[in-house]
Amino acid sequence: MTVSAPDGGLRPDTRRLGFGVGLRGPHVPFIRAHWPDVDFFEVLTENYLHCRGGRRRALDEIAERYPILLHGVCLSIGSTDPLDRDYLARLRRLADEVQAVWVSDHVCWTGVAGVNTHELLPLPFTEESLAHVVGRVRMVQDILERPLVLENPSTYAGFTASTMTEWEFLSRLADDSDCALLLDVNNVYVSSVNHGFDPHTYLRALPHQRVVQTHLAGHTDYGTHIVDTHDAAVSPQVWDLYRTAVRLTGGVSTLVEWDDHLPSFPELLAEADRARAHASAVAHASSDAPPTGGVRG
Amino acid sequence: MQTALLDPGAAAPDGTASRVLTASAQLGADRRLALYQHGCRMRLLESMRSLHPALVRLLGQDLFDRFAQEYLDACPSRSYLLSRLDEHFAEHLQRNRPDAQGEHEPWVDVLIDLARLERLYTEVLDGPGTEEPGHTAHGRDAAEVTVAPCLRLLRTSAPVHHYLIAALRGEDADLPQPHPTWLAISRRDYVVVIRELASDAYTALHALSTGAPASRAVGTADPLRGRAWLREWAAAGYITVNVRPCAEEGIVR
Repeated sequence: MTVSAPDGGLRPDTRRLGFGVGLRGPHVPFIRAHWPDVDFFEVLTENYLHCRGGRRRALDEIAERYPILLHGVCLSIGSTDPLDRDYLARLRRLADEVQAVWVSDHVCWTGVAGVNTHELLPLPFTEESLAHVVGRVRMVQDILERPLVLENPSTYAGFTASTMTEWEFLSRLADDSDCALLLDVNNVYVSSVNHGFDPHTYLRALPHQRVVQTHLAGHTDYGTHIVDTHDAAVSPQVWDLYRTAVRLTGGVSTLVEWDDHLPSFPELLAEADRARAHASAVAHASSDAPPTGGVRG
Repeated sequence: MQTALLDPGAAAPDGTASRVLTASAQLGADRRLALYQHGCRMRLLESMRSLHPALVRLLGQDLFDRFAQEYLDACPSRSYLLSRLDEHFAEHLQRNRPDAQGEHEPWVDVLIDLARLERLYTEVLDGPGTEEPGHTAHGRDAAEVTVAPCLRLLRTSAPVHHYLIAALRGEDADLPQPHPTWLAISRRDYVVVIRELASDAYTALHALSTGAPASRAVGTADPLRGRAWLREWAAAGYITVNVRPCAEEGIVR
């Protein structure tokens, strides 16, 4: 089965889950004690594929109360190794069990010859690699029997062999494989600085109807390059790009990622509320209704 | 590119990076490749540190990183789970003992035992347990005793579990001194529990865990003592004594 709707097979309402945060272990006690007002949680897929301990029990409890998105880092959709059938079977089972709204991963490869570097490595943007990835995305969607959502990773190097831009590659990948896109606005900004392209050109070129989610995060500027560190608040430049993304996509589910130097849960939620306020401002400026999930007091 | 990431010291012909990777206005291809090399190395080392907080405390981060990096170079990850990154760490340390060229040094045994215990701790914490109704205990279907899937047994050269527990609590502890120790690592209510066993109890529980019938596993012990073990192990959740005991094998529930 391959889905064929223009948004990657996801119902229009699922593009508008509201404003969520990544579920991180240190926050779980607070969440289970207070059941805070959050539109959805995104969890790192690999943390739960095999887990039968307390972490999994906590996820099950949270999944009973909130929509869950599964976000992976090891699908390795761009690898030349065969797809890992065990991984996909476990992913499908987990998605069923927590009733995941969708599953996402990255347009990258993480290893070849059976080795896993655990890095999101860049792909050469060529016709050959595009055809390779399109074929694999179709296979994954058939195995999972649900649409796959793919994210643009931040990159620190490109390939001399590339014959097209990243946004051309992503657009054609989404259209040809009929997958959906997760637009990481921070990654667009990080890569734009590292590679010297215009991030607004990138955003304008994407097939906006296929974007079902945006990611926001902090980064670290080292002067000669920027690293996607997920350890700080969202930067003003990324908020600016986010407002553009909201205008172009009509406002889709938005998630704040924060992994290192983790703030308290209320502080993290405040960052998600800042996203809500930005989206709301764009909506009020351009139409008569908030774009997603309403505006928290 | 993968070879360059995992083995940055490997010689590559000059100019390989710039033939494959583009440069930016600020960074050449070599420097950009180095960003990935550094990111990859740090991610894996941080994962190893998080899996071995006690070893980090015992060795200090610099020395731990040296051991961990040597291991990662020798045994690159083949799993999509970072939590399995250290699956062969203890065996690697055993094969490459720092005292291999000289006199046997007890602290190396402590190092290896602690690596084994921390690996088992992760397995027990994340693996299947007995908390959910209808959990699957391993053992024979019709066996009189089934063993909890979260039970692990470990013989160590020193009471390294005290050191691990202190490290997990953020407390200081003395270097464990040599003293043969037999440990049961299990889980109750999603919390890992480590207990010391007597050597003969360890032997019996080990026999049970490898499929021996209870009568044989505890048969060499005094009958009263054997029955007491079974009661203790059942209370600790290591085993489940089934409803239909085999009377001829003398099992008492």
